[in-house]
Amino acid sequence: MIKIPPYLKKGDTIGITCPAGYMATAKAEKCIETLQKWGFEVMVGKTLGSRSKNYFSAKDEVRRDELQAMLDDENIKAILCGRGGYGVGRIIDQLDFTEFSKNPKWVIGFSDITVLHAHLFTKIETASMHAPMANAFNEGENKFVRSLHEAIIGKKAKYSCAAHPYNRRGIATAELVGGNLSLLAHLTGTPSDINTKNKILFIEDIGEQIYSIDRMMYQLKRSGKLDGLAGLIVGGFTDMGDTERAFGKTAYRVVQEITAGYDYPVCFNFPVSHGKRNYTLKVGVAYTLKTGKKTSLLSEL
Amino acid sequence: MKRKDFLSSVVPLAASFNSMASGRMIIDTEKPAIIPPYLKKGDTVGICCPAGYIMLPDIQPAVMKLNEWGFNVKPGDTIGKRDFTFGGTDEDRTKDLQQMLDDKNIKAIMCARGGYGAVRIVDSLDLKKFKANPKWIIGFSDVTVLHSHINLNHRVASIHSKMCNSFPEDWSKAEPVQIETIESIRKCLSGEKMNYLFTPNPNNKTGLAVGELVGGNLKTLESLSGSKSDIQTKDKILFVEDTGEYHYSIDRMFWNLKRSGKLSELKGLIIGGFKIKPDDAGEEFGKTLMEIVLEKVREYNYPVCFDFPVGHQKDNFALKCGVRHTLAVHLNECRLTETR
Repeated sequence: MIKIPPYLKKGDTIGITCPAGYMATAKAEKCIETLQKWGFEVMVGKTLGSRSKNYFSAKDEVRRDELQAMLDDENIKAILCGRGGYGVGRIIDQLDFTEFSKNPKWVIGFSDITVLHAHLFTKIETASMHAPMANAFNEGENKFVRSLHEAIIGKKAKYSCAAHPYNRRGIATAELVGGNLSLLAHLTGTPSDINTKNKILFIEDIGEQIYSIDRMMYQLKRSGKLDGLAGLIVGGFTDMGDTERAFGKTAYRVVQEITAGYDYPVCFNFPVSHGKRNYTLKVGVAYTLKTGKKTSLLSEL
Repeated sequence: MKRKDFLSSVVPLAASFNSMASGRMIIDTEKPAIIPPYLKKGDTVGICCPAGYIMLPDIQPAVMKLNEWGFNVKPGDTIGKRDFTFGGTDEDRTKDLQQMLDDKNIKAIMCARGGYGAVRIVDSLDLKKFKANPKWIIGFSDVTVLHSHINLNHRVASIHSKMCNSFPEDWSKAEPVQIETIESIRKCLSGEKMNYLFTPNPNNKTGLAVGELVGGNLKTLESLSGSKSDIQTKDKILFVEDTGEYHYSIDRMFWNLKRSGKLSELKGLIIGGFKIKPDDAGEEFGKTLMEIVLEKVREYNYPVCFDFPVGHQKDNFALKCGVRHTLAVHLNECRLTETR
């Protein structure tokens, strides 16, 4: 049974850390301000706005220790990752989830944070939030940023989006799992790999070439991840590139073709992405996906 | 949705997945791989496109060279076919490769080029006749899918080497290394014992290893992780190479190897060529390829060598996957020798 961490009350503390790429403090100011406005205390780790001169927010040990401290600190009720990038995979096996398991808390983020979501779901059996990170707050407090507020205070989500011509209609109720496709493919065969059987899987990606999306979808398929799904949610595939010799298909067409032989509902163009449209989704929590004629609905149970 | 129908339809799938998973444990990768018969003069080499497309004139240099070596050449139907980036549709490519696998008169199959696409057809292939009459499959890059798949599931050796698109058009203008690497394919095919001497890198971890050689393109190996073509590396000498990836991506792929248990029980590790995409400004990764590799294998004792001449480069020598080799990494000399 997946553990659901406690939801937050006003006055609770949210820790902000950067377990992967570097982020300047200025880019997180709006986020901090908004979290405070929502009534939360904010504790900022030193990996945010660090003096790192390279890709990472800090050395592996520093990123690990800070995330570990936030996982262990009982006063921190949720951990918001400042940004993704790359780097969680380098420290994931060094984290100790003993305290966290006793006092689970919400871990929030997406993109590279997919590694944490998958690991928490598979190994620690704890739910987490795939959600906008600090930079998204700079867009203003839109409905996607607000969806995070609603999620952390325990309001049940009900999202809708327009039906896409590639959708397969249907209805499914199951636990939601997923995240960034590149990371899900990368985790395949590792101890953090997710079992997608009887789950609603959601995927999104950015900056990949179409052939690479195709290859990753084949990896999901050939590792048995597409066979037994309850449903599939296809989010944004933004900034897709193509090879000199054109692939001849869009990312959505690739996904549609590879899932054509199944009969579970498939919802394209769901607002989960590296773009502005990025609703908060709770990994490990049950939802009902309904793909109708005009609208797709995703409601938390 | 008809939930009941859905459930009943999913049962056989799930069952086959389970049997696949347990089946993987049953495959005895410690059993030596079958060595297909080496080629004699007058034998036929088939050429086909399991992945990217190629036009007929572009295989001519390879055809001429193979003829010169005394082999007949049979270009398959996919040569000159094109479906966007592919050498024909999945069906075209499956059919062509299948015919060549089944045709007893074809003693080796050279993939015309890599690109992307072998994974789209590998599950449609019927390898029964191939297993009964094994033959050499030749190629690299995307063809790593075939090497890994047949090594694991059918225990047949294969040749990781340059393909038709790397044969120089004008042999008289070819660099010595181009001639040598192409020549190494002939040596492989005709059964010569392979023996490579290469330059030591100061970052090497010295040692001696004996084991079956497996490997290929790192990105392709990662994309096979968790699938029924996933490479088994226990007690093997693993070689990897890649091109056009960022440092962070190479790092992530080595983590996949490590976290999926592929580095812990190796006999030896060979790092081939890595053409690395330069980091974007302000996104410097801060670690070199050597550092990326060495930190993953720090706790292991097997030999590790860099700069082996294999990869997306001119000095890409033919390697027999599935065949036992000895890797000797010394301070002043590195050698990879086929060991029977």
